[in-house]
Amino acid sequence: MTASSSGALPQPRRFLRLLNFRDSLWLLAPIATLYGIFALIPFALIVRFAFADGGTHFATVLESRILVRVATNTVVISLMTTVVALVLGYILAAGLWRAGPKMQRVMLAFVMLPFWTAVLIKNFAWAALLQDNGLANTILQGLGLTNGPVTLLHNRLAVIIGMVHYVLPYAVFPIYSAMQAIDRKVERAARSLGAGTPSVIWFVILPLTLPGVYSAALLVFVVSVGFFITPVILGSPADMMIANLVNYYVRELVDFNAGAALALMILGAVVPLIVLQQSMGRGGRHGAH
Amino acid sequence: MALTENRPFPLGRMLLYAACAPILLLLVLPTLIIVPMALTKGQLIQFPPIWISIHSFTDYLADETWVSSTIVSFKISILAVVIGATAGSFAAIGLHKRDFPGRNIVAGLILAPIIIPGIVLALGDFLLLAPMHLIGSWTTIAILHALLVTPYVFISVQTSLTVGLSPTLIRSARSLGAGRLAVLRFVHWPAIRPGLLAGAVLGFAVSFDEVVLALFMQGSTTVTLPVRMFQAIEYDLTPKIMAAASLFIALALLGLTVQALTAKRARPA
Repeated sequence: MTASSSGALPQPRRFLRLLNFRDSLWLLAPIATLYGIFALIPFALIVRFAFADGGTHFATVLESRILVRVATNTVVISLMTTVVALVLGYILAAGLWRAGPKMQRVMLAFVMLPFWTAVLIKNFAWAALLQDNGLANTILQGLGLTNGPVTLLHNRLAVIIGMVHYVLPYAVFPIYSAMQAIDRKVERAARSLGAGTPSVIWFVILPLTLPGVYSAALLVFVVSVGFFITPVILGSPADMMIANLVNYYVRELVDFNAGAALALMILGAVVPLIVLQQSMGRGGRHGAH
Repeated sequence: MALTENRPFPLGRMLLYAACAPILLLLVLPTLIIVPMALTKGQLIQFPPIWISIHSFTDYLADETWVSSTIVSFKISILAVVIGATAGSFAAIGLHKRDFPGRNIVAGLILAPIIIPGIVLALGDFLLLAPMHLIGSWTTIAILHALLVTPYVFISVQTSLTVGLSPTLIRSARSLGAGRLAVLRFVHWPAIRPGLLAGAVLGFAVSFDEVVLALFMQGSTTVTLPVRMFQAIEYDLTPKIMAAASLFIALALLGLTVQALTAKRARPA
């Protein structure tokens, strides 16, 4: 409105807006080309391969005995990862929220360092820590808790440890930004009415941060479902997850159709969760970077 | 500052810190043990290591396949960042302050490559590129990695634009006769620079660390460093893994430093 009243540009406003839009449209050409060729067409190919020969490939996948096992693994491991990451993430977010500026910077560096470390490196380090002669076993034996080495590696516990370590920043940031949005006056009001710290946490802070917790939970769960490297490095063959099964169909059995059908089923499960998470607003965005 | 002093219940805060400390320690411990492990005298991967020798580093540098993987990884990540930074920042500028129905859907789709499971993208692109005999070329991997770089650049450039660019600036530049390219050069470019740098650095790290796409697209001469490490971890645990891992740690520290510096510079503005 202000632009057209300046008099410098006499054209009608609608025309201007159209021009403006066409102005910026070419800026979307690079991303449209990249995504169109290397994301959209591949997606169409997955659909075509999955639905080739009627629904038989879905039947192949659904009837294989391994699917139930792998799907259960994926859901159980991802849920456990999500719960542990939320609890630890909530504590860390609260610490960040309450810390002074200097302490906050130190804590942020501690959270961000693993975020910048490759998942492969983190998993590899955990394998070294959890192996029979690793640091964890040395400490357990040093404390006299066990006599011989305990098997900590190549099991479900190791997979969950590795995954929690990866997803923890994704849990911290949505919760932290929900905490930052809390008006301190609400807390002071509760205290002036006689609420102690536990009831302030339970009745004021926790309810106000729940949207951040939900957003973090969805994000962490979605990220967990797609794990591929961690089950291989830290788990046993019995801990195979759904991404490993796609890999197995494609690279071991060379059955692209079944792999595509399974990939579509994963998308069908995950995309609604992503849409829900995105529609929950700002919280999740912070976790994505 | 004043807020930190008049907080009630210092006991509660002490408890909170006491709960945070072990979590923070466990977060950084795996990153911290890599370099000491690489300095072991032995052939075994173990912590604490037997100090001190640099044989894992000399083994790594003497192995042609590992060196060529390192070079391929750098080439791929650099090209991926160039493509992703272009696509991501142009898209962020193009969508800045533009309201149209479905804008949120478009923004969501831009982020999709980093949220959907990587294996799905890898399979789809394998189905597209295998018949065209494009598997095994480093440019292929770089272009696919650009799909992962783009969202990060998009997000951080978008943030830069929201924080550092007032829409009136564009309007006054246009009314003073600046053409489209001049506006991009003199109005958008200074505003997006911090976000572009931060996004590009993070995007480089994401590409350099990526395993699944690189695994599906590998050829005999294009095995990226993380793929070689992944296969070495599975089949023969050589100390070279730890030397290569040290390189990743160095890059992570570098990335973290750049991020901290750009964040500090952005704050007073």
